[in-house]
Amino acid sequence: MIVAERKPLGEIVEMIAQLHKVTVIGCRSCVAICLAGGEKEVKMLISALKLKNRKEGRKQEFDGFVLERQCEKEWVKEVDDKILASDVILSMSCSLGAQTIADMYPEKVVVPGLNTAMFGVPEEQGMWSEKCLGCGDCIIHTTGGICPIARCAKSMLNGPCGGSSDGHCEVNLDIECAWYAIHERLKLQGRLDLLEAVRPPKDWTPSHSGGRRIIVREDAKLTQHQKRGKEAVI
Amino acid sequence: MKRRIQVVICRVCSGAANVLDVEKLLRVANEAPYVGSAIAVNYACNAKTIAQIVEEAKSREVDRMLIIPCSKSDVSPALFQAYKKKAKINEFLMETVDLVGEIVLPHRDNPARAQAKAESKLLAAITRMAMLEPLQKSSEKMRTKNVVIIGAGVAGVEAARQATQAGMHTILIEKSDKEVKAPGVVMPKTRLVSAKGHAGNFILTIEAGEKRETLECAAVVIASGGDWSDAKGPLVQACGAKPLYRLVQEIGEGIISREGVVIVDTPDPKADITSAQDFAWEDAIQSAIEIRKKSPETEVYLLFQEMRALGLDELSYRDAADLGVRFVRYDKKRPPHADPKDKSKIVVIDSVQGQTLSIPYGGVYYASIAPNPDNVSISEALRIPMTESGGLRRGSMQKGPIATPRPGVLVCGSAQFPRSENISRLEGRAAGALAAQLVSTGIVEFGGSVAEVTPDKCSACLTCVRTCPFEAPFIGNAGKAEIQLQLCQGCGMCVGICPSKAIELHNYTDDQLSTETASYIGGDF
Ligand code: SF4
Ligand code: SF4
Repeated sequence: MIVAERKPLGEIVEMIAQLHKVTVIGCRSCVAICLAGGEKEVKMLISALKLKNRKEGRKQEFDGFVLERQCEKEWVKEVDDKILASDVILSMSCSLGAQTIADMYPEKVVVPGLNTAMFGVPEEQGMWSEKCLGCGDCIIHTTGGICPIARCAKSMLNGPCGGSSDGHCEVNLDIECAWYAIHERLKLQGRLDLLEAVRPPKDWTPSHSGGRRIIVREDAKLTQHQKRGKEAVI
Repeated sequence: MKRRIQVVICRVCSGAANVLDVEKLLRVANEAPYVGSAIAVNYACNAKTIAQIVEEAKSREVDRMLIIPCSKSDVSPALFQAYKKKAKINEFLMETVDLVGEIVLPHRDNPARAQAKAESKLLAAITRMAMLEPLQKSSEKMRTKNVVIIGAGVAGVEAARQATQAGMHTILIEKSDKEVKAPGVVMPKTRLVSAKGHAGNFILTIEAGEKRETLECAAVVIASGGDWSDAKGPLVQACGAKPLYRLVQEIGEGIISREGVVIVDTPDPKADITSAQDFAWEDAIQSAIEIRKKSPETEVYLLFQEMRALGLDELSYRDAADLGVRFVRYDKKRPPHADPKDKSKIVVIDSVQGQTLSIPYGGVYYASIAPNPDNVSISEALRIPMTESGGLRRGSMQKGPIATPRPGVLVCGSAQFPRSENISRLEGRAAGALAAQLVSTGIVEFGGSVAEVTPDKCSACLTCVRTCPFEAPFIGNAGKAEIQLQLCQGCGMCVGICPSKAIELHNYTDDQLSTETASYIGGDF
């Protein structure tokens, strides 16, 4: 899932202090589940902002709610009137949700309440770790199901580097060395031979290096005709 | 629903030391909305007073009661149960407010401040009271009167005796094949594998040899004891240190060394010590006393980092000191060790006096008992949290010293940390009696002020499932969280953490809590 973290309160206040009607919009998807932008966080943030305003003698109006998925126009449309009535949208979703609203309402100020951090998994309650960088060309079938692009600090393809010691990474001794883990995993599977071959440099064009990525599924796209029909129904 | 509140202030307690103006509090209460009657009584805890309060409640037709007695901790909850029953008030529509502990005592030097605070607290409590909903509990019949006891040590056997005396069927499971003299069924070479269900109706899976079977029971008593096998450490190698129970045996057999006895907390004195409770200090001190009595020429030293004797055993410090037992505190950075020049002596630096002592000894004993390694599997099966040192954790003090955080499961003896034989026996008895008390009603009650999920809001994130200490929430067939009423203890942890605000605790809803708080601080927040 997409893992995010709330921005510090001071930073949020700075972004919105000059605007009067603030609408805080959370999301019930990934960021709710990673405890960053669900209904609870929305309510808590509003309370914190109100308290801070009271302390600092500022007057603002707040409204807050969550959308099923903020990155989809249809869900955003449902709160059209509320968005139009506000001076600023404080988005408590990942940046995708915030940008969806910003693109739909170009005249509105949209500010992010969260820092979108990574694709991660909940390792245990209250702890998430990064496991994928979205490189667009997955190779984990050759690395024992462990992604070296995301989990090795140097994204090495032929690891480990000389800084691997006792299974730890030299960049930060608190993180594991991905290549050590890959070695152990492949040893367990009796597939160490996979490490014999030298991996050639990766083609990074399916990743961000090729520019902003757009994925199209021709078979799923609606035809002009269908689209028109739909508009007629609506 | 009427939503008419009766406010009862105990004049003796709340008016203590003339800090609060009780008459003024009464006026404030009477002017508040929803208050049907506000009275002050002398000694709210007295039977005659209760009768008077109940009369008043009936005649004023109130349906809820706010009682302001003395500091809550001093008054038995059972007493207030009596109010509810007699005045026919739903048990969730009666609350108490502690003005004495929270306001009178801390602010006794400033009566004006105390009065202002008491008034706003009273109003906040009235606001809350008016919002409460009557809740009903559900109940379930127990299918059996079985009490399963894990471990046939001193505590386990005692628990079996006590529970059988009270008419329960006890099943004592013991992992070894030692001979056990206990009433009820004894199952040797048996261990607990897993547990399902809840207080009143547990289903345990046990394993005897290769055979697995299930066992129904209403309550479980854990008496797994400590690990009595010999420990390792420098003092074992250098001085032949032995576990304390061997000293107890030797004293019993009349074997007492004249060269001196040293009792040290652990055979590895450099190691970190988590808590003084991890040592059998009660037994150590008793043994020291007996040695001095039986063989006055034997010098006895107790070497420790932290020492704690529980309860009445505290008195034995003085007895031991009077008999000449030497207490020496050391620092783990300078641990006691065998004298390199003369192995028949232990060198220790008294960290209080800075003095170096060289103690000749005939025997060295250690007071540590390792936790039972089986605690891990017991903890997993019955879902009892463990202590840092590997014992099974008891519940909060309010639940009593024998209770675990899990209803229907009791723990006694050295399962948490070493207990002397006497205390183990006492605790075993207490656990047996409490199990019997629980089971004898034949009915388990649950529900009331518990958590409930609004399925539409739930995002099935599993947070509640992971968080609940009692494993009450689960994701049901509809793909949304549900809460198993029988397991929910109403602790509110899932409510607090649910990111989608999908869970509410009855009578502690956001609305109720924030309106109460807003009333207290005067305004919105
Ligand atoms: S924590 Fe809340 S949202 Fe998550 S599963 Fe439980 S009830 Fe549903
Ligand atoms: S209120 Fe407490 S016991 Fe009940 S389901 Fe929630 S976390 Fe579990």
